Amino acid sequence: MATLTAPQWMAPYQALIKGQINRSQMQAILRQVLWPVMGIAVFLLMWQLAASHIDTSLGKFPGPAAVWEQMGNLVDEHQQARQREAAFHERQEKYIAMRLAQDPDWVPVHRDYTGAPTFFDQIGTSLITVMSGFLLASVIAIPLGIVIGLSSTVHAAMNPLIQLFKPVSPLAWLPLVTMVVSALYTSSDPMVAKSFLNSMFTVTLCCLWPTLLNTAVGVTSVSQDLLNVSRVLRLSALAHVRKIVLPSALPMMFTGLRLSLGIAWMVLIAAEMLAQNPGLGKFVWDEFQNGSSQSLSRIMVAVVVIGLIGFLLDRLMLMLQRALVWDKTSAQR
Amino acid sequence: MKTLLELSNVGMAFDTPKGTFEALREVNLKIAPGEFVSLIGHSGCGKSTVLNIVAGLLQATDGGVILDRHEVNEPGPERAVVFQNHSLLPWLTAFENVELAVKQVFRKSKSKQEMRDWVAHNLELVHMAHAMHKKPEEISGGMKQRVGIARALAMQPQVLLMDEPFGALDALTRAHLQDSLMDIHRQLGTTVIMITHDVDEAVLLSDRIVMMTNGPAATIGEILPVELPRPRDRLALADHPTYNRCRQRVLQFLYEKQRKVAPLPRRDTTPVRRQA
Amino acid sequence: MRAIKQGLGRLMAALLMSTLSLPVLADGTVGWPEKADLKFGFIKLTDMAPLAIAYEKGYFEDEGLFVTLEAQANWKVLLDRVIDGELDGAHMLAGQPLGATIGYGTKAHIITAFSMDLNGNGITVSNDVWQAMKAHVPMKDGKPVHPIKADALKPVVEQYRKDGKPFKMGMVFPVSTHNYELRYWLAAGGLNPGYYAPDKGDTSGQRQADVLLSVTPPPQMPATLEAGTIYGYCVGEPWNQQAVFKGIGVPVVTDYGIWKNNPEKVFGVSKTWADQYPNTHIHVVKALIRAAKWLDENNNANRPEAVKILSRPNYVGADYDVIANSMTGTFEYEKGDTRPVPDFNVFFRYHATYPFYSDAIWYLTQMRRWGQISEHKPDSWYMDVAKSVYRPDIYEKAARALIAEGKMSAGDFPDFDNEDGFKPPQTGFIDDITYDGHQPNAYLAKFPIGLK
Repeated sequence: MATLTAPQWMAPYQALIKGQINRSQMQAILRQVLWPVMGIAVFLLMWQLAASHIDTSLGKFPGPAAVWEQMGNLVDEHQQARQREAAFHERQEKYIAMRLAQDPDWVPVHRDYTGAPTFFDQIGTSLITVMSGFLLASVIAIPLGIVIGLSSTVHAAMNPLIQLFKPVSPLAWLPLVTMVVSALYTSSDPMVAKSFLNSMFTVTLCCLWPTLLNTAVGVTSVSQDLLNVSRVLRLSALAHVRKIVLPSALPMMFTGLRLSLGIAWMVLIAAEMLAQNPGLGKFVWDEFQNGSSQSLSRIMVAVVVIGLIGFLLDRLMLMLQRALVWDKTSAQR
Repeated sequence: MKTLLELSNVGMAFDTPKGTFEALREVNLKIAPGEFVSLIGHSGCGKSTVLNIVAGLLQATDGGVILDRHEVNEPGPERAVVFQNHSLLPWLTAFENVELAVKQVFRKSKSKQEMRDWVAHNLELVHMAHAMHKKPEEISGGMKQRVGIARALAMQPQVLLMDEPFGALDALTRAHLQDSLMDIHRQLGTTVIMITHDVDEAVLLSDRIVMMTNGPAATIGEILPVELPRPRDRLALADHPTYNRCRQRVLQFLYEKQRKVAPLPRRDTTPVRRQA
Repeated sequence: MRAIKQGLGRLMAALLMSTLSLPVLADGTVGWPEKADLKFGFIKLTDMAPLAIAYEKGYFEDEGLFVTLEAQANWKVLLDRVIDGELDGAHMLAGQPLGATIGYGTKAHIITAFSMDLNGNGITVSNDVWQAMKAHVPMKDGKPVHPIKADALKPVVEQYRKDGKPFKMGMVFPVSTHNYELRYWLAAGGLNPGYYAPDKGDTSGQRQADVLLSVTPPPQMPATLEAGTIYGYCVGEPWNQQAVFKGIGVPVVTDYGIWKNNPEKVFGVSKTWADQYPNTHIHVVKALIRAAKWLDENNNANRPEAVKILSRPNYVGADYDVIANSMTGTFEYEKGDTRPVPDFNVFFRYHATYPFYSDAIWYLTQMRRWGQISEHKPDSWYMDVAKSVYRPDIYEKAARALIAEGKMSAGDFPDFDNEDGFKPPQTGFIDDITYDGHQPNAYLAKFPIGLK
């Protein structure tokens, strides 16, 4: 029941096609398809109705149709930008040829397109940033969580700090992160943009905690029997952690990682918005500032996309959890 | 009589919030190589504490345990333990569970292939060859316990310690496992200490039955040799006079001499001193 | 002996290096840019147009520059990012390089060699305030006579104060053109906009104020007005026309009405950056001059195209109609009351791009007038600051290179050989006071309201 193997969930539909459907299979189809579709349909209807009654200074609040139209516009803009990019590269090649003719010692530099990022570019930036921040957080939180879980001394020492920093909002970290990054990262030819580091570190600081705490709890709650097995086998400290502690803690760890990724995504959007760092948050803020008659619809597109990506990221973690974790009951929903 | 394992004046006291609780006092026992000894007594009488001290998982606060001329201070594979609730690693298959132990013990002395064969051999010994690549959640409780026994045997222990190994199983499964255990004991001649509170099990399997008095300050009340010839057959023994006499003696000890009246001691207790 | 030889060698090397890095070569062309990848910041306002046009028309690329343009959240963030090097340069308020250099706010030496535009701002009040003001506005043929003076606002402010409501207005930044224009307009109408006293730790600018001014980033002005936090504001386009379109406010005066052809935004870079990349700087200015010219060419013929570019979400992003309203030479006051203001946005005519010292000094006089400069300064001080911030020398190199390349003609520019950087004494202020950049203190003395 934990593993939804293809034949199992497909069975009711196969039965439907064959015309041999029974009551329970019919219910399964209703539950899986019809009710969710109905739910969405009712939501769209309510949205349309409510939207037509909300007058903002930028016109009516966008309904589903307006948002869909802007989605199309954003796709068009993206394609136009790609065409401009191609033209840019063509011009650049000409410039390089021209300059080499006049200045043979010059070492040509091939540059990336300098145009404004499109909505889809911003999605890409956000995803890269959130993943970097999340990975960095995991790399810090998992080992630290294991140490805290293994040693009650370290736990006692760290606990007040964790409790203190855990509830801090990203908006509070951001100015500090910005100033510290500016102070410490002073390369004249930076590998990555400061704004990227600002967003990434803010994400890291905020999404560290669930993984840290859940890993620690997972490690602390390894069953006494398994600890005894480890002692009887005289496993070395490293083997003990690798063979007993880590696998035992893995379900809890994944629960933490999933929570962390969710937080990372939410924090990122806020951080981008506040710090004007590239990404979806910046897209939303720019559109808000533009205040054109299309701005609200475009922001709604972003809202839907942000939600969708958050959902997909969670599903991705769930799939990973199912693939990697022995305790299938821990990855139910 | 040759002695493999000796408990001399073993005492155990736990610090509790209510004060010191003396669990064991002056436990003395000598076990010969190849002997099968059962510990029987009411719940909370300290049987498990004795076993854990022999295993090295607990340190006696008084006296000590000598195994083959060496004092026992810590756990080790030469005193393999079969735990009451199998204690298999749920993320490993039966084979991998046994393999973990084999690799730990024979890493230096056996080749990879030899280790694999040894794992398979031990699983066959407990009749688990057919399910050796299944994970614990995919097999029954009895099968899990068989894997637990295979894991312990695979370590080639000097003493096999079993903590109520069949306590959680249904009667039929238990009987199967008891028969298997008798076979294995006959084949390998392993020295076994087993905790039980099943009188029939004790009489059927043991060379000697060690009966413990109730705590606090529990100690050995009586030792009963079971002079029945091996191999033993549970059906044939049903009417055997020695069998019935032994059974009678144990029941008398438990239900007349040591009627259970004392309240259960607290579980969350810690030893007074960890290093003896 | 060896030491002398080494020293001579070093001197020779240094001399050689300095000839190599001379920005302008003998034939009047400029050397290759030292840094070709540049990032410029801007605020979403129509007067950032020269940057957008230089990018879109390929003028930057013609100079071998690969520029990224990035909208910034507010003027402070923009300035901070120029100072810490995240931005190579930016669309700035004229007061920003001056304020930063003299240490009002963040201290940093910022310079400008290019003035981005003239005019382009307006003062908008909420519908309620306009209704109350209207009774005091002189009318002709049923329409208000422009420019409307703050005299009409004065009774309204007094009424609000009598009702216990302090009269609050928004401007975009303490050293913004808008702050000084709004103050100028209010003071000309007898309303004290309040003094700053940085030496006493008071940077609110509300001492002795009849009208309380506070900072709001330009794009948020209409929303803030709509929310009732402020009763009016002074801001650049399209945020005045936006209020008309949204029906939440009425522009009462443009800055053209307060001071004809007042200098507005500049293109600012840090001094460190300019010293490090002298050629690059000249190339940037060349591209911007061409963009400004394109914007004004043929009697604003290119403006509709410019508006189309500016209305893209990555530039100003407001609707085409809103931006077009002011950019194409008209301005809508009360809904339906659209009047021609051909010079509402000037990018190139009247030598708009040339960084006049007199413009710098006017801003400095206003900083002194309202107390941002906390003590009296001699006329020479004004001159020295203007010269360290405004850099017509760099502008001249760029202009001469454009002339040499045949892209522009000498007639497009001031006569560099005789130009001293001072406009002749200017009239055209709403209070009819004449400004002569050579005599800042004498100018300050003429104001009834303001520090001397």
